[in-house]
Amino acid sequence: MVSVINSIDTSHEDMIHDAQLDYYGTKLATCSSDRSIKIFDVKGGQQTLVTELRGHDGPVWQLAWAHPMFGNLIASCSYDRKVIIWKETNGSWGKLYEYQNHDSSVNSVNFAPHEFGLLLACGSSDGSISIISSTGDGTWDAKKIPNAHSIGCNAVSWAPPINPGDLLDPSGRHQPIKQLVSGGCDNLVKIWKEEDGQWKEDQKLEGHSDWVRDVAWAPSIGLPKSIIASCSQDLRVIIWTNDGNGWTQKVLNKFNDVIWHISWSITGNILATSGGDNKVKLR
Amino acid sequence: MSLQWSGEQVVAKFPDVQANTMAVDCMGVWVALAGRRAISMVNLKKPKEKPLKSARQSKWDVSCVQWNQVPSHLNLFVTAYNQKLDLHSWKDSNITSLCSMKGHSRTVSDVSWSPSDPNKILSCSVDTFINLWDVNDPRKPVRSFQTVSGAYQVKWNRLSENMFATTHEGELRIWDIREGTSPVQYIAAHLSKIHGLDWNPNSKSELATCSQDCSVKFWDINNPRQCKGSLNPGSPVWRARYTPFGQGIVTVVVPQLRRGDNSLHLWNTARSNPVHQFVGHQDVILEFQWRKQPEGSVDHQLITWSKDQSLRVWKIDSQLQKRCGHDMGEMNDSSENESSQGGRESVSQNSMHENDLETDHGNKDFQRQMSMSPDSVVFQQPQTLEQEFELMNTNIPHIQVEELDAVKRTCSVSAVSRNFNIGLRMQFPENYPCSEPPTFEFLESNLNYDIKRQLHKVMLDTALMHAKRNTSCLEPCLRQLSLALNQPYNFRPEERKTPDPEPARPFNLSWHPTKPPYNSKPSYMAWHSPSGLQDINIPFPRTSGARFSAAGYLVVFGRSHEARKGPSGTEITPKALYDLTDFASKSRNRYPPKLYSIPFHQNYSISPPTPVAENVSISEWYMYRPKVTNQPKGKRKHRPKESTEVKPVLAPVKIYDSSCLLPIQKELGKNYIIDRSNIPAMCSHNAKAASAVGRKDLVQLWSLVALTASEKLKPQNNPDDELPWAQHPFGKEMIKYLFDFYMKIHDVQTLAMLVCVLWDRENAIVPPPKKEKASLLPQSTSMEYVPPNMDNPDFLSSSTDSGWLTAGSNLLKSFKTLTSHLQVHSTRPPPHTSVQSRLPSQHHLSEVSSHPDLANMTGVLKIRRSNSLSCLEDSFEDYRIEDEEGIKEKESERQAKIHENNCRLLDPSAQNQYDVFLMSYADILFHWGYTNNSKLVLKFMTHLPEPHTGIEFGVQCFHCSQDGRGAKCGSCKNLAFNCSICHIGVKGNSMFCLKCGHGGHTTHILDWFKENSQCPTGCSCRCVEAKSEITM
Repeated sequence: MVSVINSIDTSHEDMIHDAQLDYYGTKLATCSSDRSIKIFDVKGGQQTLVTELRGHDGPVWQLAWAHPMFGNLIASCSYDRKVIIWKETNGSWGKLYEYQNHDSSVNSVNFAPHEFGLLLACGSSDGSISIISSTGDGTWDAKKIPNAHSIGCNAVSWAPPINPGDLLDPSGRHQPIKQLVSGGCDNLVKIWKEEDGQWKEDQKLEGHSDWVRDVAWAPSIGLPKSIIASCSQDLRVIIWTNDGNGWTQKVLNKFNDVIWHISWSITGNILATSGGDNKVKLR
Repeated sequence: MSLQWSGEQVVAKFPDVQANTMAVDCMGVWVALAGRRAISMVNLKKPKEKPLKSARQSKWDVSCVQWNQVPSHLNLFVTAYNQKLDLHSWKDSNITSLCSMKGHSRTVSDVSWSPSDPNKILSCSVDTFINLWDVNDPRKPVRSFQTVSGAYQVKWNRLSENMFATTHEGELRIWDIREGTSPVQYIAAHLSKIHGLDWNPNSKSELATCSQDCSVKFWDINNPRQCKGSLNPGSPVWRARYTPFGQGIVTVVVPQLRRGDNSLHLWNTARSNPVHQFVGHQDVILEFQWRKQPEGSVDHQLITWSKDQSLRVWKIDSQLQKRCGHDMGEMNDSSENESSQGGRESVSQNSMHENDLETDHGNKDFQRQMSMSPDSVVFQQPQTLEQEFELMNTNIPHIQVEELDAVKRTCSVSAVSRNFNIGLRMQFPENYPCSEPPTFEFLESNLNYDIKRQLHKVMLDTALMHAKRNTSCLEPCLRQLSLALNQPYNFRPEERKTPDPEPARPFNLSWHPTKPPYNSKPSYMAWHSPSGLQDINIPFPRTSGARFSAAGYLVVFGRSHEARKGPSGTEITPKALYDLTDFASKSRNRYPPKLYSIPFHQNYSISPPTPVAENVSISEWYMYRPKVTNQPKGKRKHRPKESTEVKPVLAPVKIYDSSCLLPIQKELGKNYIIDRSNIPAMCSHNAKAASAVGRKDLVQLWSLVALTASEKLKPQNNPDDELPWAQHPFGKEMIKYLFDFYMKIHDVQTLAMLVCVLWDRENAIVPPPKKEKASLLPQSTSMEYVPPNMDNPDFLSSSTDSGWLTAGSNLLKSFKTLTSHLQVHSTRPPPHTSVQSRLPSQHHLSEVSSHPDLANMTGVLKIRRSNSLSCLEDSFEDYRIEDEEGIKEKESERQAKIHENNCRLLDPSAQNQYDVFLMSYADILFHWGYTNNSKLVLKFMTHLPEPHTGIEFGVQCFHCSQDGRGAKCGSCKNLAFNCSICHIGVKGNSMFCLKCGHGGHTTHILDWFKENSQCPTGCSCRCVEAKSEITM
């Protein structure tokens, strides 16, 4: 059965808002309302504090690890309107880049699949989504989708770097399209697509009756369809599926409290949901 | 108004600097940080650089440091410690001690340089003396002024060179150095100790004092009996200093009493409320000073030094300055006219309306924000009704916007819900959105009066709240209406009849289980804590969560059992961070836990943004219990507020091994082998591995694969010999079934392994789309019978020797495919009507054979023989016309390929999918750390990533400056690369510097750099060093 293999006392001084393992599952990063980010070495059951990162002036909402091919990189976003990318060099962690071009709390960060390069999407309460990319020579480039969600954007998630339509099309593979999904306070789930370097709205999925709190694009393991999960203040979790004939929605469940976190397993067969009732459900 | 963030700030942390006081020099370049051990200098132009330190040998702290105010002596500064003053000079990054002045018998509490005479310093002490020093004669003070009580602060008048002021407990004394040794003026300013004193930079008779009695007072020394005005920050004020612009003042709370409030407040002296709060320091602010701005710069900068060892620079942009220079509190301007007070920023703003400020100041920052996200509701407001209409998101459930008329200033909407049908009209007054809400009018509805009244209230409350903040409210109002209509069954008439327990609550409509941020709160609450207003659209923080991370781990974090629910226990978790603010203000009202928490209305901005005034943490929200109010005082201590007490709120972060829930096994990833050369052995090994982890289905699968891939079933080379096993129902069909099954359970591991074993990427030809076929082979007039392959697998089933039949419809379909092939491939236009029904009987076929055009065909018609079709064989023999060798070869090659495809167990058209299986599995193996296995799997990809092409150096032609490759220039045909030593074009071996691009013949260059390190061209590039730089 599902067993606890490690239990880490983080000693954060306030609520934890996110906790994530790195690519290999050897490092745990947590962030909290106490404005700090802590990184623990959890390899082989240990729980050593590697570092405590301070630099945010407000609660830190979410974290994202980059693919290890870019080094040990972690991005964090906070109430203080900043997005900080931290990097480990020779065992010590430091700020690599600070992005301050949002006008309100940044609620969500997510690194794109490594196939697209070092690319980070950020969703903010100012309603916009930023896509920050590393140009490789230490400088960073940012594109912004203004007014992606009126009132505010609460979550962003990247699509896998595979066009499901190509899978059964024998005429060869196309360059995968950069796509991401976002959810916001306008109760909508929106899909964005990069075309000729410009981000455009591709789809607008209506189904929730209150703020969308989290969205998650399921990993593709070669199935010829796209799946997105979204959860909302309206207590529902909706699974959106597109098998080439448009998006269809299915309400997964109606819960008793707000669902604010959803996460797909690596094979896309299980969805973990968690919310205000402090419980985690897997299905 | 209160939602404007202040400008950017610089934060420089100096963890190794221990300083208790700070001073900014008169040019705004150097900051002196003085402490017991050292005096550190920070260059404000490069604030992030390491400060220049100069060690001090003293057991006394520096109580005061101040730079000379006169630009000609700007490198002088004075420090006070114990009973002495030290004069230093700061030159060439060195601090030189010039002289020491000792005259006091007790600790010097304050010093002040004369703003006009660079040689004069005043010092004061509790020894009751105020000494005036001339730095040219440091042995003894030039003058001494004595009073009966000790002096605490001393300040020169900024405009009148002979006048200064001192403070003595609650008293203020004004002195004139020409007027003997007694004060010219006594002012009984405060009831308790005065902490700070500052002269108005714009008026020689005005000054401000701040005191322990929680007030800041303004005085005119010509009228000492009457206080000119005062501010009441609500807590003892440590320092109050005038702003260099407008009529603002900056205050900071007395250090010992600042519990968590490490912020500065900016006030407009004409208003009773602060206009801005600077939040950021994590500890007590020890000193703050204004930096002199270069000419032409609009923004002012405030420098702060805090106990948290960080130096911060706050930018005060024109927006904020205007708020200090201009009365913004009321719509009318009559209350204060500050031009008489000479604020230079304020002169032009007297007639400015509040909304004008937002629209046409041309503030760059503001416009930048506008252009980036034009209509995010809280932060960027639409300026006009028209804009609001344009920017409105009309996608609101149940609400249909029917008419938006910006000219008449009306908006009509209709709402249709289960039980309701409502027409609503909103009329926007001229002043909207400034403090006037729109009016609402129901046009037609089937609602009864009560519900209508409720709905009206819902919208009006929302509108009023927005109107107070001068923000537009159309969309929020409609969303509230939609919400209210959405759950009509929750309208409970009986509840409304009971007396409202909370009179402040506008109505007791509990149609939404959560607390909607907009309407169920009394609007004054929002006014109370406007720092939370900006949080209205920020989601409530997540306090628990589960994340699948890496491969197979589930990270779970959450609250402890003690912190299971919010204050009310059973409610649904609220939506916005705003609710936390609301809670904060309530809990503060309930028991004022902090003696000096901010009691005034916080309708001002804060920078940087801070949630819920920092006073209530999210933990507190969860730990709060309503019961607590009934408990005796002593127990309140248990409320978690300090970090040590908060701990139980957090449950440890747990990492679960969720791999048993996944269809993939880490063990298998490690133990599986891939060996195409010996498939049976590989299969049996993998079957064993599968059985070891208890996957019985996989054991079966592997034995099945072993059989399928066994030698006996290997397809023959000759397509005519035997039907390949793949065509057998237990061949391709079964594999397809297996794939479908494992796709259904998301077992990418098995899928990828199957691909590794069964997929042969070599020579995989993909049948091109049929329409293209004709154009691909325009010359070959061959009439081709495509043997059964994946395209029309059903055709095969017609052969009786395979022992099973499929429905006739399938058969027919295959024939249609076949005939369509025939049609496409005939270049001549014979009417093929006869062909349509040709195959089923010999009769039809002979008809075809007799066709004159067919006789001329040069291609080959070939068919797989099968019992059912054997009758055709003879007639087809006739058309084996083999005239061209080339075509024949090509054809047989094609045949072979087609046959090969037939022998495949996997459908080549899905090869992209196979690649994705492999990639996904390889990625998972990478996650697990099995990098070698991962690479092995990737070797079976059909589309391999393009190999690295290496780096090629381009050459810019020496003669025509064209970029090119190779030795010769493409455009002028000269040798492109000239040796920088012999100036002859280089044909053979060359060598060049990666940095400057110069170089030449290898031998020449080598010789040159034996002795030199710089480039031979004289470009001053140090090529030898540059090389190591680049290759790093």
